[in-house]
Amino acid sequence: MEEIATRFAAYLQHRMPSASDVTVTDVSRIYGGASRETYRLNATWKEGGAQKSRPLILRRDPVASLIETERDIEYNAYVAFHPTGLPVPEPLYLETDLSWLDRPFFVMEQILDSAAGSPFNEDPYGVHAEAIGEQFWTHLGHIAAADPKAIGFDKNLDAVAPSDCWRIELDKWEKVIDEDELCPQPVARAAIRWLRRNVPTPAERVAVVHGDYRTGNFMFNGAGRITAILDWEMCHLGDPLEDVAWAADPLWAFNNPERPGGMIARDKALAIWEKASGMKVDEKRLQWWEIFNSLKGLAIWISAGKEYESGASREPILAFSSWYCTDVHNRVLATRLAALNAEARA
Amino acid sequence: MKPEVTTVMGGYVGTLFGSILPHLNSEYSMGDTGLMAMSFMMMAQEYDRAADIRLQENEDMRAVFAHAADIIDNADLAGLLRKAASGVDASMRVHALNAANDELKAVLIELHAYVEHSKAHWAPELEMRIWSVICAGTERRKLDFPKLF
Repeated sequence: MEEIATRFAAYLQHRMPSASDVTVTDVSRIYGGASRETYRLNATWKEGGAQKSRPLILRRDPVASLIETERDIEYNAYVAFHPTGLPVPEPLYLETDLSWLDRPFFVMEQILDSAAGSPFNEDPYGVHAEAIGEQFWTHLGHIAAADPKAIGFDKNLDAVAPSDCWRIELDKWEKVIDEDELCPQPVARAAIRWLRRNVPTPAERVAVVHGDYRTGNFMFNGAGRITAILDWEMCHLGDPLEDVAWAADPLWAFNNPERPGGMIARDKALAIWEKASGMKVDEKRLQWWEIFNSLKGLAIWISAGKEYESGASREPILAFSSWYCTDVHNRVLATRLAALNAEARA
Repeated sequence: MKPEVTTVMGGYVGTLFGSILPHLNSEYSMGDTGLMAMSFMMMAQEYDRAADIRLQENEDMRAVFAHAADIIDNADLAGLLRKAASGVDASMRVHALNAANDELKAVLIELHAYVEHSKAHWAPELEMRIWSVICAGTERRKLDFPKLF
């Protein structure tokens, strides 16, 4: 950590020419953040005769990761949403010059006195579950309601037609499975065939999709207030129901899909989202995105297993998620698809 | 190996959580250690059942293939199914069972895709039977998540 502290202090000095005596202390790597190395640290410096300090977060590209994504798109999501009032950390610097820390990285504000709930905890929010659930689904509605162009989210992103949202995402994740599967995947293949046979209706409108909006990817404080929505590394333009379905996926509900993410009841959650987004939940289309998201989950866990097996990374989280999460999503998908196919044949 | 592997794995988990993890001073090391401990608990489950799961799954798939080979209307696929159905698991080593399992699953995918598109009178029953094998496999492989938090 000392090397990172020294090199990052030099970087901050470069970015803040009017500052002097920049030092970086208390560097620690945060657990999770499987797509990037995430560090919390404290920066202090002198400026205008005054001593200043600021706790920061450093997100550096990994050597290998659970999800391979573009850091500039993630960083731009923070840039786009920070002025809107959505609780996201203030983005500060994006750096692609490898001379500073060997790999690209970005820097943002550190949110204090807050923590993320674990998706593997049966009751991650305790007495605050209702209050946090209401905020969680309201914020997701606001993300869906945001105009991507007006807030600058669409920078560097290709335009997407409402009727193409499903195909673009399905093609992307099918390719991941094609490239990374370590063994034949009958459930994933059946899901892909089902998704292609049952093309959904077009998105009500193309919106910002967070891509990983769930328990574990936002922080809340002791008063039960959501203080930061994080981990935008899979964000894109698409059908906002994609996010609704991912947030409600059974994997994050710890065996209780009627209470998505361990928060509020599903019906109530969807009603809150409808009110905040100004859109209706089309149950048939939502079902498509639910099947899709369990498949997307499978693709991520399959890819994690490939990273571990190949030796590209030996992070325990990759092996763990490849074992446990693959097991959950295979079971969820098999049960749902068997029922849907029986219905279709009846 | 005595004590039983499952007993030792459980003991290691206790040591990791009780004696090692509290003395670590890095959040990242604590996270890795906790995850490895939970993985040990899953390994303990898998150690005892791994061969049984694969053996049962392989037998289930061969049984479906033998049944399907007699009724489907595609000679090439029927030939492939008969060949796959005639296999036997001569070794109980997990590595060997996995290799057979992979080969059988590739055939299962091909059969499943074919049956889904078929309008033949036998297709609905065969499709249900395939789903039954798949669902039974996912249930057998279910890992109980250790309640540690």
